[in-house]
Amino acid sequence: MTSFKKDLNKAIEKAKRVKLVAQDVHGVLTNNTFFCDVEGRRQYSFLHQDGFGHLSFKRLGTEVAFLDTTSIDNEGLYRAQELKLESCYHRVKDKMAKLKELEKELGISPEEVCYVGCDITDLAIMKRVGLAVAPADAIDEVKKVADYVTTASGGRGVIRELCEFVLKAQGRWENWVEEVAKMGYK
Amino acid sequence: MTKQAAIKKAKKVKFAILDIHGVLTDLTLYYTDDGKKSEIYSLHDRLGCAALKEAGIEAAFLTSKVTRIDQYIGSIYKIDRLYGTSAKMSQLDEIEKELGLTDEEFCYVGDEIIDIGIMKRVGLAVAPADASTEAKAVADYITKTPGGRGVVRELAEFILRAQGKWDTVVEKLSKIGY
Repeated sequence: MTSFKKDLNKAIEKAKRVKLVAQDVHGVLTNNTFFCDVEGRRQYSFLHQDGFGHLSFKRLGTEVAFLDTTSIDNEGLYRAQELKLESCYHRVKDKMAKLKELEKELGISPEEVCYVGCDITDLAIMKRVGLAVAPADAIDEVKKVADYVTTASGGRGVIRELCEFVLKAQGRWENWVEEVAKMGYK
Repeated sequence: MTKQAAIKKAKKVKFAILDIHGVLTDLTLYYTDDGKKSEIYSLHDRLGCAALKEAGIEAAFLTSKVTRIDQYIGSIYKIDRLYGTSAKMSQLDEIEKELGLTDEEFCYVGDEIIDIGIMKRVGLAVAPADASTEAKAVADYITKTPGGRGVVRELAEFILRAQGKWDTVVEKLSKIGY
């Protein structure tokens, strides 16, 4: 995996403005693999800790959306349902068009959007949004345009790490940790 | 084999033949206690197959025996030709005859000794990073990716960049999905 030098302070400045965290599903929430058995049933693996990231964003008023193009099955939807996320856009053909729609609906500008992507179909969006994030094992072109590259690989805690990064930048992390420690977050 | 030489060969590719085990999978077989088998695949390869198709390069699976899992994967990756034979060279003869193509217009991806014969024949022979020493020795191009983690994705990018089609295909796939 090639590493690219990033300006952390610049990423922190950008993270301060984030109001929506949109993300690709495969390669971000999963490691892009799937199991297939002799009945044609497929399995995908997600990581528990990413759920903490998603729920933290939601609880603190940051919108979360899944923008998925590659799903064969409904795994992204099931994961979103489990996390009670309303915004799961499944098998979207044109992600850019969908994201623009979302921005309009939420009344936010592209600078207020954080997008996490891992492959070529995410490139155009990554160039547009305020904070572009890539998992450690994203393709080089994506990591090159990203403002922030997580130390976690896809499916291994990208959103958990991003959540901490954004909330720290926004000065909300300490209070949130205290609250969760006392009350839980579900 | 230099990269330049491989690029030159990639320019001529019109048809890609993919071995399944060790290329699309990491060779691991998972069994449940009721005897059901599963294997692990990468969605990167689904993108690779879609990109090749978009650029007009057909891809086929060639494995010693086509299993039900292979059929499911074929339908997910939109692969129309699934060949099950260990006589890989005579299968190549048949495909060439049917489509009027020559050896040098084929790319073959394989990882084992059974693949060496056909790899020596085709225009562009490719092996995954973790293929056997014998397969890597006859390959024109060795992917950085190991089997089951996106070999076809990397190969599609390599061929389509060589043919100058990559950017157009990326733009198209970003709009229409795959």
